[in-house]
Amino acid sequence: MNVPGRAALELRAVRKVYPGNVCALDGVDIELVPGEIHALCGENGAGKTTLVEIAAGELRPTSGSVHAIGNVGLVHQHFELIGRLHVWENVVLGFEPRRGVRLDAEAARARVRALSQSYGLELDPDALVEDLPVGIAQRVELVRELARDPAVLIFDEPTAVLAPAEIASFFATVRALAARGAAVLIVTHKLGEIVAYAERATVLRAGKVVARFGKGQIELDAIARAMVGGEIPALAERVVTALGMGLVARDLEAGQGAHALRSASFEVRRGEILAIAGVEGNGQSVLADAIAGVVPSVGSLELEGTPLQGGARERIARGVRTIPGDRQREGLIVSWSLVENAVLGDQDRPPVRKGIAIDRVAAGRRAREIVERFDVRTTSIRTTVATLSGGNQQKLVVGRALAGAPRLLLAYQPTRGIDVGAAALVQSSLIAARNAGAAVLLISFELDEILALADRIAVIYRGMLSATMLRDAFDRGTIGALMAGAQRAS
Amino acid sequence: MRTAAIGGVVLLALAASAMELAGANPLLGFYALLRGALGGPHQIAETLVQTTSLLFPSLAVALAFRAGFFNIGAEGQLVIGGLLAGLLGARLHLPGIAGLPLVLSAGALGGALWGGIAGALRARFGGNEVVATLMLNVIAALLANYLVVGPLHSPGAVGPETAELAPSLWLPTIAPGTRLTVAMPLGLLVAAGVALLLSHTVFGYELRASGANPQAARRAGIDQQWIALAAMLLSGGIAGLGGATIVTGVLHRFNVALSPGYGFIAIAVALVGELDPLRVVFAAFAFGILQSGSLTMQALAHVPKDVVTVIEGLIILALSARRFAPSAGRLRADERTG
Amino acid sequence: MSEPAEFLALALVKAAPLIFAALAGVLCERAGILNIALEGQLAAGAFVAVAAAAATGNALAGLAAGVLAGAVLGGVLGFAATRFGVDQIVAGTGLNLLAIGGAAFGLVVIFGQPGASPSVASLGAPGAHLLIATALACAFALHLVLYHTPWGLRVRACGENPRAVASAGLDPKSIRLLATTVGGALAGLGGVYLSLGELNLYSDGMSAGRGFIALAAVIFGRWTPLGATGAALAFGALSALQFILQRSGVPSELMQALPYLAALAALAGIAGRARAPRADGVPYVE
Repeated sequence: MNVPGRAALELRAVRKVYPGNVCALDGVDIELVPGEIHALCGENGAGKTTLVEIAAGELRPTSGSVHAIGNVGLVHQHFELIGRLHVWENVVLGFEPRRGVRLDAEAARARVRALSQSYGLELDPDALVEDLPVGIAQRVELVRELARDPAVLIFDEPTAVLAPAEIASFFATVRALAARGAAVLIVTHKLGEIVAYAERATVLRAGKVVARFGKGQIELDAIARAMVGGEIPALAERVVTALGMGLVARDLEAGQGAHALRSASFEVRRGEILAIAGVEGNGQSVLADAIAGVVPSVGSLELEGTPLQGGARERIARGVRTIPGDRQREGLIVSWSLVENAVLGDQDRPPVRKGIAIDRVAAGRRAREIVERFDVRTTSIRTTVATLSGGNQQKLVVGRALAGAPRLLLAYQPTRGIDVGAAALVQSSLIAARNAGAAVLLISFELDEILALADRIAVIYRGMLSATMLRDAFDRGTIGALMAGAQRAS
Repeated sequence: MRTAAIGGVVLLALAASAMELAGANPLLGFYALLRGALGGPHQIAETLVQTTSLLFPSLAVALAFRAGFFNIGAEGQLVIGGLLAGLLGARLHLPGIAGLPLVLSAGALGGALWGGIAGALRARFGGNEVVATLMLNVIAALLANYLVVGPLHSPGAVGPETAELAPSLWLPTIAPGTRLTVAMPLGLLVAAGVALLLSHTVFGYELRASGANPQAARRAGIDQQWIALAAMLLSGGIAGLGGATIVTGVLHRFNVALSPGYGFIAIAVALVGELDPLRVVFAAFAFGILQSGSLTMQALAHVPKDVVTVIEGLIILALSARRFAPSAGRLRADERTG
Repeated sequence: MSEPAEFLALALVKAAPLIFAALAGVLCERAGILNIALEGQLAAGAFVAVAAAAATGNALAGLAAGVLAGAVLGGVLGFAATRFGVDQIVAGTGLNLLAIGGAAFGLVVIFGQPGASPSVASLGAPGAHLLIATALACAFALHLVLYHTPWGLRVRACGENPRAVASAGLDPKSIRLLATTVGGALAGLGGVYLSLGELNLYSDGMSAGRGFIALAAVIFGRWTPLGATGAALAFGALSALQFILQRSGVPSELMQALPYLAALAALAGIAGRARAPRADGVPYVE
């Protein structure tokens, strides 16, 4: 029981409606007490990010009240850092130490050093943030918030960018913070972490609090049911497939800097899913882009025995289809209709292309086909994609990639930011593509997803790809160690 | 719709107070403006001449903007088009049937070249097209001045202009006794062509995709460099063709002052027309009224004609709130709740 | 005066308005607002200064009014960009037409004659010299402000990632608004120099594309105050050279075109890959 008035942070009847009458939060009450570690969980789209931004004062609620006894610090999922400024500049921005009217850079550096020593978070104040690996960048953001001496610290999906081994040390830091009296709120969808580290938990669904768990009551299955509001849908059956020659990569290198792909040799056969596990920022996006032909690469790439060359256009023509990581930036044109989006990538070949013209009848047929087969919920295929929910947008992207009967399917974080129902459908679609004989390359930061879908797994760390392991030999511990950079014991 | 109506009323009020400021009666001012533009067959014809001169660069701007290319350089492309048409036309002695297409093509080619420089700079080096086209505008004006006064001076020309074109190279008028020529139907044809290109062809689809979301377009196998170059060749070509129609249809020679800023007003026209080629036609007519009525307004109501420039500036400013890329605000809300 | 000294003096005279405008461009762009309305701000500053000087008979009042006019125009751009998230390029184009058309309109309304104003009280040669010195001082001042004050850090942060600025508890919109207003004032001062410093009247087209050259100088100077000032000085020297070479028969149009051609070359990467601030010209919406 909490003593009234002791709350470090208190939200009462918070409601948030975005333009377009999208109700993200609907009457949410939540309170944090000093020294506790509180988990906020919920599916994608449940309103978690909106809630924490309101709690941190970055967003104003439509109605309701927010009270905090001190500063509220928020460590974002996608860091709000400035790449071309130094670490110390990022940390002191907004409350800069001064000497007269001048900015006191020495005092700022000293402040960063003192904080990083005090919390055991090693940082070089003079490093440029854009040169730092993701894990260290998170540390910069944490130190920036600690510098403001927060009474409440909120972490939005903090472990998404950490390897399993780093996660333990991250939570050690969190416990130290709580022990010093801070109230900590951790937003996560990783249930295992909630059970292991949180003292209390609140579950959001569709903008409302649907369950609260007190000390000693946290139980994995109950949280999962509360999040989904029912049972989690089952995945499609994997069938035994005849493996065929698919994609062969040899000594593939691409990109530069911290996120470059330094060396990758692997093979994705037709009829199997090869999954690349790894923490975000270890060269995955460059790897995907290199295969898609969006960034130049060196080394050899062959698809079904023939070199894979040229840009994206040539590769699409060879049957390479992609599910890009960011559907709104890379996959869709949200101001366009479903019909126009349904043929994006296929505009250049029959049946969509007829002479120099776009065959609108064929495009409409393609759109209807995708909508029906992949259960895209929309009022019409003529409305803009912006009106669709994230899950339905993703189903459109996946449906488009599969409509062309891909030879090689490249899926990058295919279930990022969508609800469980849509995620199950997307994952089942990948299995179906595999069953139908496509070579499927899955790149994901979610180990659970990888373990559920992959026939074989390779781990990427700092741009280097490990050897692959077979489904029978999957082992969380080994994969986790590889993700953190351990050399593989042979 | 409501905001457009409110904007219109505010604009009228601003224009009226400007006239008041100039010591004129606003009602008389508006009356004179409309009478000067639409008061009789000759006035209407002159308004259509202005409409046509605005239509070409406006279509050029609309096309480039749809490709995500901020072509602020229609003015320069128009000038270079007119320059090439004038230089060639003043030296050409051919019957119109052979000569006119040649002169008009020269104009389109000149504009395409000028637009193509900006396109190539972005395609090859990623150079900012806004700065490039702004620079090219000034360079075009300087180049035109230099060539017609200097090395390519035509004998018999006084001032910064070429000699008069042979009458066989004048665009035929479609309303006798006026300056209204076949340039107008030609402009409408170009508008229809651009509309068809955008909505029905693969190239138009790829161009619009590149403008709406370059990253997604690139992943869909659309060559962004080629689109930037092609869109700017096309856009510049249309503006250059417009310059050539002014030379062959209105002035019958090239003069460095052939454009009172058509290329800049074109930005307002394109925005009012919401970058839709067919609606741009109507917007061009509305601005044609402003252009052609302004002199009558000055003479009759003693309102300085520059008030029209002020109004055009205000319209552009008001329309700058229109989003050309997918609305970022909308996207963020979706990201959070989707 | 010896010929080299004469040349240097002339170069400074030609460079001063470019320096003001280029510094305005640097400040705005570092805050994330692409200000292509520098041309209009020069014209507005020049015209309003003359109008105020004529009304009061006092050149200093003219100077103040001109700076204010530039600040207002800069503020309008900043306000439109931050409160309405407008497209800054389109808005800038509109402001240019507005300012230049407004000045032409004002000439007729106030002075009853198109083309140019009559002579008014000017700042005179000492005033012009003082303004040139001010331009150079502003360059160093802006350098110190951007790199050695808290506000400068905030401005640079806004130009890179305004969301990060917001999450640090600051209001990026106010910072951008202040930057464009101060920038507009600087450009307005450049305009004052043109009308009341170099001359004693306003004439149509007086800004003569200097606002666009200034944009080029910003790129050449890699978005730094000292770099942009260096580029503006180089362009000023080109203008000065033009006067000297006129006698030798080099076409003046070619000389006038040189800064613009140089800017195109800069865009083609000849001056090395320049990196614009990441959020330059990108509207910030919550």
